[in-house]
Amino acid sequence: MLLSVLPFIFALQGQTRTVAIGADLAADARIRVGDTVVVSGRPEVVEEAGGVGGDVAAGPLADTVVVSAIVERRADPSEISRNDYRVRLHLDQLERLIGYGDRVDRFAVGTADSAATERALDAINDAAFGFQAYRSRDIAVETSTTFEVVSRFHRAIGVITIVASAVFLLCILLLKVEERRRDVGALRLIGLSRWTVFRSVVIEAAFVSVLGSLLGVVIGWLTSAAVNSYYQAYYRTPLRFSIVTGDIVAFSVLLSLVLGVVAGALAALRLVRTAPLTLLGR
Amino acid sequence: MRALLAMAALRRHGARTLLAVLGVAVAAAMLLCMVMLSAGLRESFRELLLARGFQLRLSPRGTLPFDTEATIPGAAEIARQLRAHPDVVAVSAVLGGQLHVERGTESITAFALGVDPAVQGDYELLSGHDALAPDAMVVNDAFLTAAGARVGDTLEVAAGYNPQLRTYSGEQRLVVSGRARFLYLAGEQSAAALRRTTLQSMTGRARSDEVSLFMVRLKEGADVEAVRRWIQQNIPRVDAISTAEAMQRVDERLSYFRQLGFILGAVSLIVGFLLVTTLVTVSVNERVGEIAVMRAMGISRVHVVQQILLEGLAISLAGAVIGLGLGLVTARYLNSILSAFPGLPAAIDFFLFQPRSAWTALGLLVAVGIAAGVYPSWRAATLPIATALHEEAVA
Repeated sequence: MLLSVLPFIFALQGQTRTVAIGADLAADARIRVGDTVVVSGRPEVVEEAGGVGGDVAAGPLADTVVVSAIVERRADPSEISRNDYRVRLHLDQLERLIGYGDRVDRFAVGTADSAATERALDAINDAAFGFQAYRSRDIAVETSTTFEVVSRFHRAIGVITIVASAVFLLCILLLKVEERRRDVGALRLIGLSRWTVFRSVVIEAAFVSVLGSLLGVVIGWLTSAAVNSYYQAYYRTPLRFSIVTGDIVAFSVLLSLVLGVVAGALAALRLVRTAPLTLLGR
Repeated sequence: MRALLAMAALRRHGARTLLAVLGVAVAAAMLLCMVMLSAGLRESFRELLLARGFQLRLSPRGTLPFDTEATIPGAAEIARQLRAHPDVVAVSAVLGGQLHVERGTESITAFALGVDPAVQGDYELLSGHDALAPDAMVVNDAFLTAAGARVGDTLEVAAGYNPQLRTYSGEQRLVVSGRARFLYLAGEQSAAALRRTTLQSMTGRARSDEVSLFMVRLKEGADVEAVRRWIQQNIPRVDAISTAEAMQRVDERLSYFRQLGFILGAVSLIVGFLLVTTLVTVSVNERVGEIAVMRAMGISRVHVVQQILLEGLAISLAGAVIGLGLGLVTARYLNSILSAFPGLPAAIDFFLFQPRSAWTALGLLVAVGIAAGVYPSWRAATLPIATALHEEAVA
């Protein structure tokens, strides 16, 4: 449905109705609360109204209205890719402007409970008025397919990222422990047991993993904030695109701890099985 | 010689090298996927739009093709105007609507296209005959399955449903003359194409001769933008959209995937870079004495630098080769996830393999491999020989 709006400042005459407009339209067209605009369902009517320099059209095809509110877009994922402007009018006014007659696209019906919803659903669908009633839940399922697909895609990307991170972490930790060959050799020569050396290497690897993952959480949190800031501005929506929850932090720290301990244990096993003098390069 | 020494250094710590190659392979796979994602959707959409050679699409003013139920009246007059332009080769007028087929107690709803079969650009006939007769229609497999029909069957078909009165504006017996694949519709969507005049009369749009869209094919080498401007000036009721403009709008709507591809591709490159740099640096640190001896024997700095650069490059190349194969499998899997988008034409691929994508990914990885070796090779080349030999002897 196309509804054109032209900001038009002029003296109010008589009873003027009000509309609410979206914040993006208000920003782009520099409209403020209290401004007067011409609204019509046909772009050419508004263009003509503006073109004659103040001879504002009024009647069945165009109305002069006052902007009474500027509303923010809802945090609705289904509206992300829609960059159309929104204007909220009184129902009868919109019906007249777009020549729709006494017709609406849909009714929203509130019910007391789920049993009442079922009764209302049956009653409406049995009535011969050409209506088809749906549960809000069913419509939500239908319209959320797109986001389920995106969600599945994100999960798949997440799994690949975790695999890549795991290999990276294993490799780095193995290298880190391998660097300690001479230290471990010296420790063994002064009398430390294999078990003590093994534990110290594993504990060090675990410590490095936890420290690294905590630093990663901070970087992730900052990145998440940057992603939200960019996409919220890009799509003009209050929707949060990236969230760092306690579960995600716990999973990341735990995963890197497990990988660190495994990598540390593998490397430590190799070290303690090697003769101390060999570790020292003799 | 340099290559031999580099390979020997990598083989000395086989497990470590293998792990690094594996890490680079995963990063390379991700990089290839993201390169395919960032270019694939655009290219796939462009191929789809130009599949039948129509460079311009005309929709009702202020709308995108089939984005609303708005129509353009006076189709014959507009088609005549368009054909009068010297660069226009063919004009296909299309009316969109819905067809309903009663099957037992159920009503099957299909998307209907009213076309002129001689110049249509919306479907490919797979079997049977085109809908040349006024009482014929071609349908897709989803329609045949839903309606339980076969080519040659005659069906009672209705159009122009009025929800207030639960009646149809037109009903007709139509023969399924052929099976077709609709280029711009999702595979699972039931669809039928019939003569435009038949659909117009069934939906009550014959008198005003309404259509939803015009598709315009131009002469080879014609200036598409100039024709678009001419249409915009001479037929004010329509919006003329060129393939380039349509692609730009798709880019705007789906920029998220392109940006995601860019970000994840960059992250993959950084991860690969860090991995190779770390590995080669550690390897150089472990061989300080060996490198000092080589330098003391008269081996030049350039030789040492080249050997270490080769180590980084070898890891990157081995990882890239494995990663490219892995990336193709991963891209296929990710594409199967995204192709489930509701309403997405079956011909659209988010991840489109093009040789250019593979070369881009490979080129980036080679560059990263070389860059990753710069720091450790600089470190090796600037090693103070005497000090390094002394420390090694003391150790």
